[in-house]
Amino acid sequence: MVTRKALISATLVAALGVILVLGVLAGRTFREPARAVSVAGMTILEPASPLPEFRLHDQNNQVFDRARLQGKWSYVFFGYTHCPDICPTTLVVMRDVQKLAGGKEHGIQYIFVSVDPDRDNAATLGRYLPYFHPEFIGATGGHSELMRLTRALGAYYESGEAQNGNYEVHHSAAIFLIDPEARLRALFAGPHDAARLAQGLQRLKGG
Amino acid sequence: MVRYKRFAVGVMLMMSCLFAVADSTISVRDAWVREAPPGAPVLAAYFTLENPGSKEDKLVAVLCPDFDQIEMHATVIRDGVARMTALDALSIPPHALVKLAPGGHHLMLHRPRRALTAGMSIKLELRFASGSRMTVVAPVRRAESGPVHHH
Repeated sequence: MVTRKALISATLVAALGVILVLGVLAGRTFREPARAVSVAGMTILEPASPLPEFRLHDQNNQVFDRARLQGKWSYVFFGYTHCPDICPTTLVVMRDVQKLAGGKEHGIQYIFVSVDPDRDNAATLGRYLPYFHPEFIGATGGHSELMRLTRALGAYYESGEAQNGNYEVHHSAAIFLIDPEARLRALFAGPHDAARLAQGLQRLKGG
Repeated sequence: MVRYKRFAVGVMLMMSCLFAVADSTISVRDAWVREAPPGAPVLAAYFTLENPGSKEDKLVAVLCPDFDQIEMHATVIRDGVARMTALDALSIPPHALVKLAPGGHHLMLHRPRRALTAGMSIKLELRFASGSRMTVVAPVRRAESGPVHHH
């Protein structure tokens, strides 16, 4: 299963690479803006990449699907609650971004997608996320639905082997920025910086 | 009486010097534990180790009665993917500072046996390859901002 996931992921990475290269070539040949531009720690997709339908649930057991991304800007991060270091560290950064960029009232939402649905359910996420911010959305679902989303974003996750009854989940460290038309607009590679994340969105909204 | 007091202080100073010599030359500072969000069964602890000596030492075990299990971990981001790797030992080279910090090396504290919230503290016993041991008090804190980047 692990090998299969790794294979799928490698294929995806390769496919994304080919698409990007073709995009860049097409852009050069036909002067069409199909490329990824890196500015100040942010990779902007030109044009933005539409997301497919997917069906997860949030911490209130409400459906969390593509429609929930429409009409708002969304910062999306993948992680899991058994993660002691990088996930809380990133969620604290997200809280700082919320302070700088604003939340619901500014049409911006912050989404933590757990890629560990065997241990994280609505109740787990409902206890975990308000600690960082009451507005933060937690979502998870079956692996097939999670992978529809991760694949479309070029994200990756994989469960490690169990040791002493515990296992780690390796996951993308990036924060993804989805535009109000539910398209992947940009991504930020770690290590994350709240000011850079907030300014990135400002730049996209302004331009 | 005054003389006796001075004598006692003198003895205490001598004893503390002896302990310092007998102890490892490694020093530990800035120890803290990140308060776990509700429901999270794992916490992380961070500190800075300094080895002023000319010999390498290794942190080989950390004990604390407040947890079922403690592991030394490194968070490594490779090809955009964050992975945690368990370490058998953490090397502290001569004349070096080794920092355990958010997003990098950390202690992973499994399943707290009592609720640990900001303002409380725990005692960690650090055991080194050289045979020395030391106890460090680590306050539990809420992380108020992300990792500090030094440019």
